[in-house]
Amino acid sequence: MKRLSSFIRNALCSRFLPPVVIGIFFLLYIGIAFFTDETLITLMAFTRASKALAALLALIPLNSALRLALEVARHLRRRRALRGGEVKELPPLFDESVELASASLPEELAGRLAAAGYTVRRSQGSLAAVRGVGIFPARLCYLAASCALFAGILLTTTSRSAQRGMVVEGEPFPAPNGAPALVESIRLAPATGSLLARTLTIEVAPLQPGARRSSFGLYPPSLYGGDFVYPRYMGISLQLRFTAPDLPQPFENQASLNLYPAGKEGSVAVPGSTYRLDFSFDPPPEGGDRYASYMAEPKTLQVKLIKGQDLLFSGSLPSGGVLLRDGYRIEVPAAKRLVVTDFIRDYGVLCVWAAGMLYLAAAALYLPLRSLSPRREMLFVVAAPLVAAHSRAEGKRSAHAGVFHDALDMLDAAKGGEPEPPAGPTTN
Amino acid sequence: MLALKLLPQLLAWTATALLLLRAFSGRRLATAYAAGAGFLGGTAALAVVPGALLYDMVRGFLGAAFLLLWGVSVVVLYQSNRREGASGVRFLNRAPLCGAVALVCGLIAGATCACRLGSGAAGQLLTPLLLAVAGCALVAAALYAERLLSPRITVTPAGLLAALVALALFASSFLIRVDLFAPLSMKVMKGTHDFVHQFMESVLIPDHIFVRQVVWGYIGIFFSKDVGFWGGMVIWFTPVCLLLLAIRLQRLPKVSHIRQGAQRRQVIARAIKERNLRLAVPGFALAVLIAAAYQSQHPTVEYWDPKPLQLTANAAGEIFIPRKGEVNLEDGKLHKYLFKQGEREARFFVLMAPNGKLTVDLDACAICKPDGYGQTEGTLICYYCKTLIPLETIGMTGGCNPVPVQFADTPDGVRLNAASLLNSWGQTIQSTTRPKEGGK
Repeated sequence: MKRLSSFIRNALCSRFLPPVVIGIFFLLYIGIAFFTDETLITLMAFTRASKALAALLALIPLNSALRLALEVARHLRRRRALRGGEVKELPPLFDESVELASASLPEELAGRLAAAGYTVRRSQGSLAAVRGVGIFPARLCYLAASCALFAGILLTTTSRSAQRGMVVEGEPFPAPNGAPALVESIRLAPATGSLLARTLTIEVAPLQPGARRSSFGLYPPSLYGGDFVYPRYMGISLQLRFTAPDLPQPFENQASLNLYPAGKEGSVAVPGSTYRLDFSFDPPPEGGDRYASYMAEPKTLQVKLIKGQDLLFSGSLPSGGVLLRDGYRIEVPAAKRLVVTDFIRDYGVLCVWAAGMLYLAAAALYLPLRSLSPRREMLFVVAAPLVAAHSRAEGKRSAHAGVFHDALDMLDAAKGGEPEPPAGPTTN
Repeated sequence: MLALKLLPQLLAWTATALLLLRAFSGRRLATAYAAGAGFLGGTAALAVVPGALLYDMVRGFLGAAFLLLWGVSVVVLYQSNRREGASGVRFLNRAPLCGAVALVCGLIAGATCACRLGSGAAGQLLTPLLLAVAGCALVAAALYAERLLSPRITVTPAGLLAALVALALFASSFLIRVDLFAPLSMKVMKGTHDFVHQFMESVLIPDHIFVRQVVWGYIGIFFSKDVGFWGGMVIWFTPVCLLLLAIRLQRLPKVSHIRQGAQRRQVIARAIKERNLRLAVPGFALAVLIAAAYQSQHPTVEYWDPKPLQLTANAAGEIFIPRKGEVNLEDGKLHKYLFKQGEREARFFVLMAPNGKLTVDLDACAICKPDGYGQTEGTLICYYCKTLIPLETIGMTGGCNPVPVQFADTPDGVRLNAASLLNSWGQTIQSTTRPKEGGK
């Protein structure tokens, strides 16, 4: 039982685990690609539906978390050893360990190491020499980022829910959760930042007294009732009234049309007849903003009346206006701005954002630390009649090895007439 | 002429035999016999296995071998911080393994050569026989040449795998129907497109209408054709680069227990020299892969791609193409047409499929940009993504198949509705060129 639990623990902490899991998912991806073009979406759907696949994916954040804990513990133990504390089993904490027959450390060793640029710390029965700044903070950030990223992917894949709603000015805010509210205004404006070209602001007023007003922008999306408000496309909500000589009664409808960018046509079919109304906005002159009409008030629509395959007529129709021709009457009492909005419940997004920031921090820390001043450590511990010497370097290994070997030679030369046990590398 | 046609494949086979003999130096004869037998078997497949299946089998095997190389290279990199030498050397010289590896390599090399000969040689006896004899003679030559190689050149198991896979891919890069690089690029393009799209949706990034054009231009790189090529290059070369990196990162032996500086330096120098020599075989594999990718991008095949003939519609909006007029629609060749109406236009082709039925399709698919199609032996090729589409599937929807157009097949010719054709072309072009403009 003990061996089994040890095996499981080692497997979960193994560096091999993430590539193995990613490899399995990659093979699945290749397999799915033989059957469908929508490979990634199918793989995500499989992972969402299958507990086994979700559990397999969960091994990666678990592995990152365990490795994070292990590396923190290992770092603290090494730090304690370098400060003269008692630590069992030193060799696994270092790259290289060797034992030499010597009962004490020569006085000039500290001076030699200090001259080589190392900071030397001498304590009871040991001498530590360190140089440079370790990449441990970068490593911490990297492991935490990996944990957050894959936890985010797991959460997103298995628990994401989305509901689409039409956010229309002057109408109730269609959020699936949260307090009832009214959409006060939708504003599209040119942006001044370097990433976004436009800003879109949705102002929402509460319908219950005491509740807060809310304002939703583009990025990062805000939460409402636990759901991210994710604006997707812009359109127009038309209140439409249509009368034709051969229609028994006027047709009235509230139509939501996706008419952007300007020039794009949206259709409203009149049920029980072959009539169709095509609406669009005039495209702007060459180089103009194709979303300008969304910002303008009032809006003038281009309308085409089609019967079967025949175009009966076309014309301009301002919001609130009427178009009368040949006994036909097209009236748009109101045209309101509309934003097709997704309400997304997915806390994996927060993990992915956190992972992005942590990866950036890891890269920003790693490059200068590793290239300019990598950590190099030596520890000599006297355990008469032997001296155990340990060495570790995160970079500039050759130079560090040279200093370490010189130190060992000095130890060897200083042992004098002491009995000489066979020297050899220890296990590591 | 035949020898010239098969020169790259036979060169690759000689190098393969040489590598196998050096890697299995303890079992030279067994390896040589197994390799020769494999090559004979592979050549014989031309007579036994139906043409299309043989191509599929060779390509499937190459894909599996490439995946295996990927897996091995990742494992080797993960083990690179160990101080022991390359693992698996003892395993490498076991007789069953030597025989099996040599046999499989022979089979695949023989089958690739058989594919290169083409289905035209299937009914002949002399040509495959000559090929088989040449393959075995080259093994014998390699057996002799291997003894002349410096004994210091050693082959690690991972290095051997890399070189064998690289040589097989090089040999196959001359045959568009078994070449892996072009379809890999296409899959990478599609995969990257899907991944970026999903990523943007997942982290709730606003649609392109809200993002500055210059920023969207950078994002648009991921939707371009180049991402397929460069992504394919990364996937193509990464395993061998990982192997080279793993060898380079392998730690030098511990010398702390040696108290003479000169002796320490000697041990280190010897280890560095051995390490550098171990780079030779993966380095060779890298060079071969570069050649394979180049060949794949510059195929010597000539496609049948006629200039589109311009057509007009009658007053009723109908386009008519006579069955046997200026061109013969029943000759099994691709016939391209261009229809223009005002500012709108549509490019399409008429082809008689192998089942004897005419098919009319747009000169564009629902996925790629409309670079059009060319015809080669038994297939059409999409110029954009280099996907090969068997003629039997033309007229069917899906994937990179050309979009079928509704038409009437009458005894005197083919009749199409001009408006439907223009609409179909317009819709297809709108959906496939949107990523170029930066749409999601």
